[in-house]
Amino acid sequence: MIKLENVTKTYNKSVRALDDISFEVKGGEIVGFIGPNGSGKTTTMKLITGIIRADVGKITVNGFNVRKDPIKAKESIGYIADSPDMFLRLKGNEFLDLIGDIYHVPTEKRRKRISEFAERFELTDALTAPMMSYSHGMRQKIMVVAALMHDPPVWILDEPMVGLDPKSAFELKQMMRDHAKAGNTVFFSTHVLEVAEKLCDKVMIIKKGHILYDGKLEELEAKSKNSSLEEIFLELTEK
Amino acid sequence: MSIFFKLVKALIASVEPTNEEKKRKKVFYYVMAIFAVFGIMLPMAFFVGVIIYSLTAKLMPTGAGANAAELFLQIVSVFSFIFGLNVIFSVFYFSGDIENLLPLPLKPFQIIASKFTAALISESIMEFILIIAVFAGYIIAAGLPFYSWIIALFAMLTLPIVPLAYCAVICMLVMLITGFIKNKDTVNKLTGFLTFAFILLMIIIVSSSGGLDPDNLVAALADPGNALLNTLNIIFPHVHFIMLSMVNNTAVNLLFYIAVNAVSVALFLLIAELIYFSTAADVSRSSSSRRKTLSSSLSSMKEHRPSITYLKKEFRILFRTPAYFMNCILINLIWPLFLYLIYVLQGKTNFLESFINDIHKGNEETVLVLILGISAMSVLVTACNCIASSALTREGNHFAFMKYIPMSYMAQINIKVLVSIIISGAGMLIYVIAAGIYLNLGIKMILICCVISLLSVIFASYFGIFMDSVNPKLVWDSELNALRGNYNIFFNMAAAILMEGVICAGSYLAFKFTPIGSLMIIIILIVLLMVLTAVSYLLCCTRAVKNIDRLSV
Repeated sequence: MIKLENVTKTYNKSVRALDDISFEVKGGEIVGFIGPNGSGKTTTMKLITGIIRADVGKITVNGFNVRKDPIKAKESIGYIADSPDMFLRLKGNEFLDLIGDIYHVPTEKRRKRISEFAERFELTDALTAPMMSYSHGMRQKIMVVAALMHDPPVWILDEPMVGLDPKSAFELKQMMRDHAKAGNTVFFSTHVLEVAEKLCDKVMIIKKGHILYDGKLEELEAKSKNSSLEEIFLELTEK
Repeated sequence: MSIFFKLVKALIASVEPTNEEKKRKKVFYYVMAIFAVFGIMLPMAFFVGVIIYSLTAKLMPTGAGANAAELFLQIVSVFSFIFGLNVIFSVFYFSGDIENLLPLPLKPFQIIASKFTAALISESIMEFILIIAVFAGYIIAAGLPFYSWIIALFAMLTLPIVPLAYCAVICMLVMLITGFIKNKDTVNKLTGFLTFAFILLMIIIVSSSGGLDPDNLVAALADPGNALLNTLNIIFPHVHFIMLSMVNNTAVNLLFYIAVNAVSVALFLLIAELIYFSTAADVSRSSSSRRKTLSSSLSSMKEHRPSITYLKKEFRILFRTPAYFMNCILINLIWPLFLYLIYVLQGKTNFLESFINDIHKGNEETVLVLILGISAMSVLVTACNCIASSALTREGNHFAFMKYIPMSYMAQINIKVLVSIIISGAGMLIYVIAAGIYLNLGIKMILICCVISLLSVIFASYFGIFMDSVNPKLVWDSELNALRGNYNIFFNMAAAILMEGVICAGSYLAFKFTPIGSLMIIIILIVLLMVLTAVSYLLCCTRAVKNIDRLSV
């Protein structure tokens, strides 16, 4: 579903954010992307979504090359950015309608999905208010609904739990599990290692643009003599 | 004191382009910057200087030589006050850094003094140039000694302090007294209304005075009982004192000038110390409306073509964001008022009346000048309202949205351009048709004018968004800052004016000095505008799309 081959990204011709990384996330997997601040997590996600472009390397999403077939690739993705402060002058329902139209979601499906999400995330009475008046958590919830409304096969979520209340975080985690169970892909970044530990089939640890580990959590723990993910993470990233 | 300087530096840095944006600047942009300075700012300053010089030379024999410069500086102060209100409200209460500054162990006057200084520096550059131009005209005409230039330089940097200090005091008192100003939108609406009212007031005053032709003006300025000047001297006494220090060549008046500045600053810092923290708390950036039920919000949702919804989104943001509404939409309604003001100002010289008579008589040259004027005005209005030339800049921190949605960049550019064409074009066409009917131009000529106006708008819109794609200012903390202090918009305007100036001047010179008739010139003009539109469109298809693709956000 997501495949990166020898991808390198340099900012301003001097800062190498990603250095020749390759990995694959298959259908049916939830992959947690963890790493210290500035390690290259958001850069990787922006490359996959087409927000920035790689200097070299090939990225495919759902079989579509991000450079050569960007529209098809983007249609396959549901993306939650690291900041939910977007189009704050629009009302919640106007923003969701915009997203629904851009991703060609039919009216009935749109209403059904939004209604379902609004109930789960307790947004029912907020949709006609301007997003400017929302709290950070409410904005994050709207971004989650917008990203998932068109039911994309690939979810790319940059710190999706930030700002969510416990119930909404629980609902989102459940949705991530259901989505992967249906054969789809969930690729998300997080600093909360417990979330990765409980939710992920695989984890990917990145530091200074290099992938330090890419594999199943149990295998990593077995290799590290059953230490916790937190201990393993600190050991790997502080070397 | 070091905290103050560090804060000022940080606050100014926050409105300047980021290193990333600086690196994106291309040679083309630097050329535009040079043109903006040498082609627009300095000629404007020179023009002001020459007017002051001529008026001062005429006034010297009457003993009121300083009055022209004094009145102009007073008018600059009034404008500084009117436009400063919105800036000071925004900087003191609604900028993104407030939430970070308030928890710091800083005294209110430290925060306010640094914010005030940063606003003064970043908002007054054009004002500084105008002030020094006024002094230059006066000093040269009055033959004042060399050290007058030192006083002029000192005054240039300090004259805008008092009007902005007034704004600061009013702003804090309004926030203390009124309960209803708790969000930025109310402030923007109020200051917008004030600006509009001020322009109308100017028109009414000038209209009732029967116009300001040079002879009238000199007579009025020489009159010691000039009510306007005397009133303004009471409101802004520092201007009077600085002029007196030059006229009388005495240090006492200079000391009075410094004292007025010092008192105004001390007063607003004292008020800040007393009430700033209590008034800064509990303000929000926007108001919220009543919330409705889920079923009512779902019922409004309906599938449309992506381009239609995207277009609606653009309109909603432009109309709902007061800073954009004031600067991008309202300007399309205000500029005819300025034209009318100029018409009134020219008084008994009656240039416009003879121009209208010539059009009625079907004078070929006058009709051509009118058509060239319509083209120039269409480009100028489209560039000034900056709907296209700030379309990418306005995306700000959600610019990434443009890049990750499954919609081609060119489709998005076309929609943004369409918004500019609809708003600028509709405004222009209404005025062109109204003027055509008033001038009795006939349907054929009105149609030609509409076509030329529309082509000029389309060209300026595509060109504007291309220019914005070269170096959009994506980092800003309030919508007002996306437009104000954004030199990109000024450069865009400079480039559009330069091109349109060349076209209009070329067309007029071709009519004057070649045997080509006015009809052929008009046809060539239409073809030229079509070519320019096509070139701008192709620039968007190729370069602008690449620029957007390359932007790291």
